[in-house]
Amino acid sequence: MNHFTKLVAAAVLAGATGGAAVAQELFVPNLAYRTGPFAATGIPIMNGQADYFTMLNQRDGGIGGVPVNAEECETGYSTEKGVECYEKLKGEALVTQPWSTGITLQVLPKTNVDEIPIYGPGYGFSPMADGTTFKWAYNTPSGYWDAADMIVQYIEGQEGDLEGKKFAFLHLDHPFGKEPLPVLEQLAEEKGFELVPIPVGLNEMQNQSAQWLQIRRERPDYVIMWGWGAMNAGAITEAVKTKFPMENFIGVWWAGHDADLNLVGEEGAGYKSISWSFPNMDAPVMQDIKEYVVDEGLSQTNPEEMEGVFYGRGVVISAILGEAIRVAQDEYDTAEITPAQLRWGFENLDFSEERIAELGLDGMVPPFQTSCENHTGHSGGWMLEWDGEQFVKASDLLRPNVESYSDLIDSSAAEYAESNAPWPNNEECAATN
Amino acid sequence: MLRDIFITPFVDMVEAPDFLMQVLWEGLVSGVLYALIALGFVLIFRSSRILNFAQGIMVVFAALTLVGLHAMGLPAWIAVAATLAVMFVLAVTIERVVLRPLVGQPDIILFMATIGITLFLIGLGETIFGGENKVMITGELGIPTGDTVLEPFGGLLILQHLDITVVLVAVALVGALLAFLNYTRMGRAIRALGDDHQAALSVGISLQTIWVLVWFIAGIIALVTGIAWGARAGVSFALEVIAYKALPVLMLGGLESITGAIVGGLMIGVLEKIFEIYWGQPLLGGNTEAWFAFVLALIVLLFRPQGLFGERIIERV
Amino acid sequence: MLYRTAGQFKTSYKADQALFPVRQDAILLGVILAFAWVIFPFTASEFAFQTMLIPVLIYALAALGLNILTGYAGQLSLGTGAFMGVGAYACYKMVTLFPWMNPVVAILLSGFFSAGVGVAFGIPSLRIKGFYLAIATLAAQFFLTWLFEKWAWLYNYNASGAIQVPNIQMFGIYVTGPQADSIVQYFLVLGIVTVMTLLCINLTRGTLGRTWKATRDMDIAAELIGINLMTSKLTAFAISSYVVGVAGALYVFMWKGAAEPNVFYIQLSFQVLFIAIIGGLGSILGNFLGAILIVGLPVVLNLVPGALGIPISSAMVEHLNTMIIGALIVFFLIVEPHGLARLWALIREKLIIWPFPH
Repeated sequence: MNHFTKLVAAAVLAGATGGAAVAQELFVPNLAYRTGPFAATGIPIMNGQADYFTMLNQRDGGIGGVPVNAEECETGYSTEKGVECYEKLKGEALVTQPWSTGITLQVLPKTNVDEIPIYGPGYGFSPMADGTTFKWAYNTPSGYWDAADMIVQYIEGQEGDLEGKKFAFLHLDHPFGKEPLPVLEQLAEEKGFELVPIPVGLNEMQNQSAQWLQIRRERPDYVIMWGWGAMNAGAITEAVKTKFPMENFIGVWWAGHDADLNLVGEEGAGYKSISWSFPNMDAPVMQDIKEYVVDEGLSQTNPEEMEGVFYGRGVVISAILGEAIRVAQDEYDTAEITPAQLRWGFENLDFSEERIAELGLDGMVPPFQTSCENHTGHSGGWMLEWDGEQFVKASDLLRPNVESYSDLIDSSAAEYAESNAPWPNNEECAATN
Repeated sequence: MLRDIFITPFVDMVEAPDFLMQVLWEGLVSGVLYALIALGFVLIFRSSRILNFAQGIMVVFAALTLVGLHAMGLPAWIAVAATLAVMFVLAVTIERVVLRPLVGQPDIILFMATIGITLFLIGLGETIFGGENKVMITGELGIPTGDTVLEPFGGLLILQHLDITVVLVAVALVGALLAFLNYTRMGRAIRALGDDHQAALSVGISLQTIWVLVWFIAGIIALVTGIAWGARAGVSFALEVIAYKALPVLMLGGLESITGAIVGGLMIGVLEKIFEIYWGQPLLGGNTEAWFAFVLALIVLLFRPQGLFGERIIERV
Repeated sequence: MLYRTAGQFKTSYKADQALFPVRQDAILLGVILAFAWVIFPFTASEFAFQTMLIPVLIYALAALGLNILTGYAGQLSLGTGAFMGVGAYACYKMVTLFPWMNPVVAILLSGFFSAGVGVAFGIPSLRIKGFYLAIATLAAQFFLTWLFEKWAWLYNYNASGAIQVPNIQMFGIYVTGPQADSIVQYFLVLGIVTVMTLLCINLTRGTLGRTWKATRDMDIAAELIGINLMTSKLTAFAISSYVVGVAGALYVFMWKGAAEPNVFYIQLSFQVLFIAIIGGLGSILGNFLGAILIVGLPVVLNLVPGALGIPISSAMVEHLNTMIIGALIVFFLIVEPHGLARLWALIREKLIIWPFPH
C-alpha cells in the first residue's frame, strides 16, 4: 500500500509542477514502461531519468532557465502502445525516447518525415551509429555491437587465446536479443571460438531449465547473455542451480540489474555485466538528487534502488539528453530549442573528463564524443562484477575496436536504407567525409 | 538427416545416462507444476463448466499478496493465512459479481468473462503491488534451498531441495484434495455437481456455496503453485503466461478428469523437455517448448476427441 | 416516428430479401458511409488516423473474419493472431520478391496463404469440438508464431528478425511505408474493408451462410438433413482465414509499418476475440461496434486525465486502464451477452414503435 500512496503522491507533484510550466518548457517525453513483464527493469531507470530532470528544475530552474517537462507515456513495452504514444506526442516533443527495439524499428523510418530525433541510449538498432544514413537517430553512448566486442575483448584478456573456446550466447528470442549476432559471428570467425546461440522464448523467460540443460550438455567456457526483464532473474537462478561457474557468465548492460542478483545473493558472486554507466553515490549529481528531489519527497525511488546500477544509468541517460539540449541552446542562442536544433546538439556532444566533472557525473560515465557521422560515441564501458551484495568495477575502461566492424555498420545501414528506399541520407555529413 | 532424427538422439541418451536422468527430473518437476495449475482448471470446469482462464493470474496474485503482506511486516505463516483469506474474499466476489449474473450463458461467454477477470486482476495487482520482480520469501516459509548432488553412472545429477519439496507438497496436496472430494460431505457435493447439475440441485446441494468453495480451492492451489514458481524464478507478472501451459495438459487429460490433469501434466512436462533437448535444440533451433505440448495434445485428440481421461462425449439430436 | 416502417410495402420477394428492407436502415448506413468516406478524412488529425480510424477498420475486419468462423459456423478459434501473421508475412514476402507487384493485389493475394494454413489447422475440427477445438487452435497460434521467429527466410534474413514495410508507390503516390500519408492509407483500408464487408454480408445471407448456421446450431442435426459437415466447416475456416489474413496484411502494411513476431502473439487473438464477442457473435455490424469500443476505449481513457487536468502518472493510468477494460468486458457480458449488435437491435425496435409503444 505504501507503494501505492507514494505513486499517487509523486504523480500529483509531477502533475502540479508540469501543469504550472505550460507556458514555457522543454518537452522531452519518455515512452516509459512501468507495467508489464519488463516493468521490473524499467522502473528504476525511469525513476533515475525523471529524478535527474526534477533535480535540474529544482536546483537550476531547468536548463538555460527553461524548466524541463519529462512527462511519461506508458507503453508497457508494447509496440502498439509505443506507436500510439509517439503519434500523440510528436506535435510538441523535442525528442523520442522509444525504450524498446520494437518501438525504435517502427519509429525510425518516420523520423525523416516528422523530423524529431530518436534517442535510444545503449539500445535500439546498432547500425544507427552511422550518422550519414540515420540523420535523426542516436544510440549514445554505446551500442550493442560495442557491447559484444567489449565482452569478447574482456574474455580474451582473461583467457589469452580464444582459439577453440566455446561461448554460449543465451538471448531473448526477439529483435533485441538478435542484435549482437552479426558481430559475435564475425568475431567467432576471426578469433576462432565457437558460438552456440541459445534462444529463450518470450513465454519461457521464467522457465529456462531446457536452455540450461543445453548449456550443461554443450559445456561452454563462457555464457554471454542478452537478456531483459524477467529473463535475467530466470537465467541467473538457473545458473546457480546448475552450478555454472558464475565468473564465466557475462551479461549485456541490460542484464546487470541489482534486484535480479539479489534473488541469489552470495551465490551469484562473480557474475559480470558490461556497462557504460556506474552508480557512484558520491558523485555530486547523486548528492544533488538526494538533496533536491529525494529528501523533498519528489521521487518514487527508494534508497536501495537508488544505489543500483539501473537508477544510476537513468540519471546518466537524462544527463546526456540534458547536455544535448544545453549544447543546442548555446549554438542557436535560444533557450527554447526546436527538435532540429536538438538534433544538432546530439551530434556535437563532447563528454570530456572535464565536462563530466562539471556535470557532477564523476565516474558514472566514460568520456565520449559524437559527430555528424558518428551517432553512438562508442564510449566503451566497464566490466562490472557482482560481489554478492552489489556491482563493483572489475576492469579498467574497455574500448570497443570499432574499426573491426565499421564495415558491418556501413553495410547494414546501407541495406536498411535500400530496403526503405527512398531513404534520404544526411547530405551535410556526406560532404564533410 | 534421418539419422539425426531417429538414431543420434537415442545414442546421446544412452551415452550420457546421468544427463538423461537430469532431463527427466527437470521435466518431472515442471510437469508437477503444470499438473497443479491444470488441477485448478479442472475443479472449476467440473462444477461449473467454466474454463477459468484467470487461474494463471490467480497464481501471480496469490504470490504477490503473500510477498506484499510479508513486506508489510506480517510473519511468514500469518501472511500465508492472510493470503488465504484474501483468496477466499476473491472467490466470494467472483461468484457474486461475475458468475451469478451469468448463470446459464453459453460456455464461450463465461470463458470471456474469466479473461475479463484476468485483465482486472492484472491491473489491480500492478496498482497495489507495483510491477517490480519480487523475491519469494522462501527461507521464511522454511522451504529448504540447498541441493543434493548424486553421481549415477559416474556422472552428475543435481537435485534441488526446493524441487523435491515442491514435488512432495504437490503430492500431499493432491492426496488431501482427493480425500476431501471422496470422504467429506462438501467434497461429494462437488463431485455430484460435476456429474449432473440438475440432479445435484434437486437433492438440495447449494450451487452458490459449492462455487465459492471450488474457487477457493482453486485459490489455494494457486497459492501453492505461486510459492513454488516464485521460489524458482521470482514473483512477477511474467508468471501469468504459465496459464497457457495448463491448456494442453487439459486437452491431453480431458477437461473433467483430475487423474487426467495429473497424468497429462507429468507427461507433457517430461516429453516436452526430452523433445526440446534431443530434437528441438539440435534440429529445430530450440524453443520448441512453446508449441510442443499443444501439437502433442492435438495429435492425441485426433484419436481421442475427449482427451485421454475425459468423459465420453455422447451426442444426441 | 423516425423509424416507422409502416407504409413500406414489399410487393415482390426481391424487395423482401433486399439487403435493407427498411428504408431508414439504408439511409442510416448512407450517412455513416458519408462520414467514413467524406467527413472523417477531411477533419481527422494524424493522431486520429493512426490511433482510431485506421486501427478500428482493420480490427473490425479481423473480427469479421473470426466472426464467420465462430459466430456463424460455431467453431471457436484462439489462433486469429497467428493467421493475421501468416497474411502479413505472405504479403511481405510477395512485395520483396516481386517489387513490381501492386501492393493492393499483394494484400488481397496474401489472404490465400492464410486461408490455406487455416484449412490445414481446421481439419481437426471435423473430430474435435467446443473447448477442445479452441485449445487445438492454440497449437496453430503457438506453432506459427514460433515459425515466424525461426524461419529466417520469412523475414529475408534480417539481423533483427523483424519485417519492415518498404515504400511502395501506386499511380505515383506512396501507399505503404513511412513515406505514405495516413489519408491515402485510410482510403485504401476503407475501400478494402467496405468491399469485403459487403461480400461477407452476402455470403452469410446465402446458401453457405445458412449451412454454417445449421452446423453451428447442431452439427449432427445438420448432417442428418444432408449438409456435408466437412465442406461446411472447412469453407468456414478458409473464408474466415482469408479475411483474417487480409486484415493481418493491412495491419502491418497500412498501419504499423514494421512487425516482430511477438506482435502476433496470443494477446492479439484475444483482442480480436473480444471485439467479436462484445460486438456480438453472428453479427456483421457488431464487429464494427466492438472495434470502436475496444480500440477507442484505451485511447480515450488515456486522454481523459489530461483533458480534465487530473494529475496522475501514466503508469497509474495504464493500470487503471487494464482494470477498467477488464471490468467493462465483464459488465458488457452480464448486461448483454449477445453483444452491442443486439443492443442496437433492441434500440431499433424501440425506435420503430416510438412514441406509441402500444
